[in-house]
Amino acid sequence: MQFDGDILTIGLDMSMEEIREFEQFVRPRLEYIEMIEIEEGAALNSSALLSLLISLKRTRPEIRIPFLEQGSTTAGGYGTLHWICHD
Amino acid sequence: MTKQEQVKAIFIEEAGEIIEKLDVDILRFEENPGDFDLLNEIFRGVHTLKGNANAFGFTRLGEFVHHFEDVLDYYRSTKEEIAPDQLGLFVDSVDIITAVMTCELDGLHDLPQGYDECLEQIKHLIASKKNSPAPVAVDTTQSPSPLQDLALEFSFDCSALMEGSVLRSIQQQQEQQKEGVNLYQIDLTLDSDSYKRGFDHILFLKLLSEKAVFMESFFNMENIKPLDEFVGDENVIKKVSVIILTPQTKEEVEENFEFLFDNEYHVTLIDPIVAEAVIEKAEVTMENIELPERRKVEDRRATERSTEPQAATSMAPKSTIRIDTFKLDELFDSVGELVIAQNFIAQNEKIRIIEDESISRTIETLSKITKRIQDRVMSLRMVAIRDTFDKMKRVVRDTSKKTGKELHLNVQGEETEIDKTMIDSLSDPLIHIIRNAIDHGLEADAQERIRAGKNVEGIITLRAFHKSGSIVISVSDDGRGINKEKVLQKAIERGIITGDEKLSDSQVFSLIMQPGFSTVDTISDLSGRGVGLDVVKTSIEKLRGKIEIESKIGEGTTMSMILPLTLAIIDGMLVKTADEIYIIPTLSVVESFRPAREIVHIVKGQGEFVSMRGQHIPVIRLSDVFDLKTKRIAPWEGILVCVETEAGRIAIMVDELVGRQQVVIKTLGKSLRKLKQITGGAILGNGDIALILNVDELRPLIEDTHGGN
Repeated sequence: MQFDGDILTIGLDMSMEEIREFEQFVRPRLEYIEMIEIEEGAALNSSALLSLLISLKRTRPEIRIPFLEQGSTTAGGYGTLHWICHD
Repeated sequence: MTKQEQVKAIFIEEAGEIIEKLDVDILRFEENPGDFDLLNEIFRGVHTLKGNANAFGFTRLGEFVHHFEDVLDYYRSTKEEIAPDQLGLFVDSVDIITAVMTCELDGLHDLPQGYDECLEQIKHLIASKKNSPAPVAVDTTQSPSPLQDLALEFSFDCSALMEGSVLRSIQQQQEQQKEGVNLYQIDLTLDSDSYKRGFDHILFLKLLSEKAVFMESFFNMENIKPLDEFVGDENVIKKVSVIILTPQTKEEVEENFEFLFDNEYHVTLIDPIVAEAVIEKAEVTMENIELPERRKVEDRRATERSTEPQAATSMAPKSTIRIDTFKLDELFDSVGELVIAQNFIAQNEKIRIIEDESISRTIETLSKITKRIQDRVMSLRMVAIRDTFDKMKRVVRDTSKKTGKELHLNVQGEETEIDKTMIDSLSDPLIHIIRNAIDHGLEADAQERIRAGKNVEGIITLRAFHKSGSIVISVSDDGRGINKEKVLQKAIERGIITGDEKLSDSQVFSLIMQPGFSTVDTISDLSGRGVGLDVVKTSIEKLRGKIEIESKIGEGTTMSMILPLTLAIIDGMLVKTADEIYIIPTLSVVESFRPAREIVHIVKGQGEFVSMRGQHIPVIRLSDVFDLKTKRIAPWEGILVCVETEAGRIAIMVDELVGRQQVVIKTLGKSLRKLKQITGGAILGNGDIALILNVDELRPLIEDTHGGN
């Protein structure tokens, strides 16, 4: 996880423990984050991260999360994964 | 049993549980018609029952339940006040559901009595409600307002969109499907605690992908809340649908989910025929999008089902698994053997003489672990008596209505745990006792109660508690009490007693449970008291329990069923006679002693007696009962164990008291089954076998020895 100015870069392959830490980190800083980017090359390791990202977007709709805007992700480990939500 | 039969058996079991719960919940709702959470719970049960009934071709049940569901849905949505006669209709409907289920299971063509009338009333009720102006909702936050309806109608619908996406994926994969590869739709609805249990959707996707030719998944994220309501540890993903092409069989696919609860996953094999059915179903759903009025209700139902806070009762998700009781019994037997083997090691002389600290410590550790396993396995068989008590609420309600007596039911100790196998045998005796308490224990009418200075409303108290290693279940009434003199008079008339006996109050009251005691109903305050009570007594004794009655004129009666904690283990007093060990259930034991010479009497033609506190108790020599060859000693040289039997106290004469021990009961083979003086056997720590005495059956032998009457 890297925080460069107002862009936060995270890895998709976070464990549950790392997701918790990420949540703790981002909660008080959400107002200062403009964009959340995803490191290349890693695959989603937990659906909890997807939930958290969507929750962040719902909390602060102006935050940009390009990964979410794709609506799907593909990896050898789980094929194509689509998410469906209101936003 | 084929897979389909297994599934049907599971449905029947679950349907039975749902109906049982409905029976209880509907009464709770009748008592508190403002509890709309409870109404929601009832609705959910009925909804599940409808789906399952139709799936298994139980169409008559399905039809009835469908209309009943409509009525429940109307009231839970509008929160309109429910009139008492409509509540009565709800209760009757549950009765009909129970009866129709029986008809369906028995394959009977005839519908139960009252089916058509009840169904008509339900249809009429829902028709009248739909034709009348919509009532004002009590809670606007719960009921959809017109604006909310519009929102529902035009809003983005995740579920519908997801269904459409899943359908398209299925259609695409059907076109790609090759021989030897199966197409499945897997729906995952993991519970909120799934992350804490170590289960993640991605984990299952990874497992599935190992053998998959193609896999695509759809996550419905509509339930995700903003951060202030978000709990990272909890899974809030409503549903994940996976479309997978794999050479695996359905069973192999399902193996991936073996650690999940049944409600958390559903695997559907999509073959060309089923696929059409799925498409048809999906098309209907899509049509519904164009029929907002209908979809609106369905969506609201679906949304409410998924988002309603779960009631704190049985609908709350529990971390439980369903296990066949047969397997539990097997496990229990194995643990019994383990205990015996462990005792054998601990008491083995050859091992005991080895003076090695590590061996002693290992044996001690083994003993502790064995005890812990035994306790845990025992606890698996124990269930709270709550469900049985809940059923009794219905009995109380119906008997109250039938007799026209106003009454209040107090329930205490619902959490008391009792052996599962005992629970099943307990309902009938309990029903008998409660009906007797209401019908005959309470005063005939309100006037009689007022004259006695009591509240018009009678009180029935149902109570369960532990006492001295036993479970006591008691039913108390605050009615007239039992007239001791009239009982005695009646017993003498019936020839049950001669009148010369000195009987304690408890023994007098227990006379009302003698067969045929009260077949005549001319005694006003006892009328019918004996009807069925002899059956109750027999049933409780089969459970190795006993009944005690306490009563005070004008204050009421308490009937207590005293039961062992479990049917599989008995707390026994080990006694020795002629070098043989026997076990006397300690529940029956009053006291044991070496009698003074002066209190032992021999009555010519009637045998030996011991005088205790003014009572002459017959002495029975165990060696005589089993025809054991031993030196005949006088009673004051041996030990007497005084036990309570159904026919009064007796003193069993033995050579020696060995100790007290919990033993695992083993049934005896066919050849020994006829020996009524024995209820079973047990293997002792040293590997020896001891017989467990049936003290009630020792009595007739005494009468022979003592010359009878």
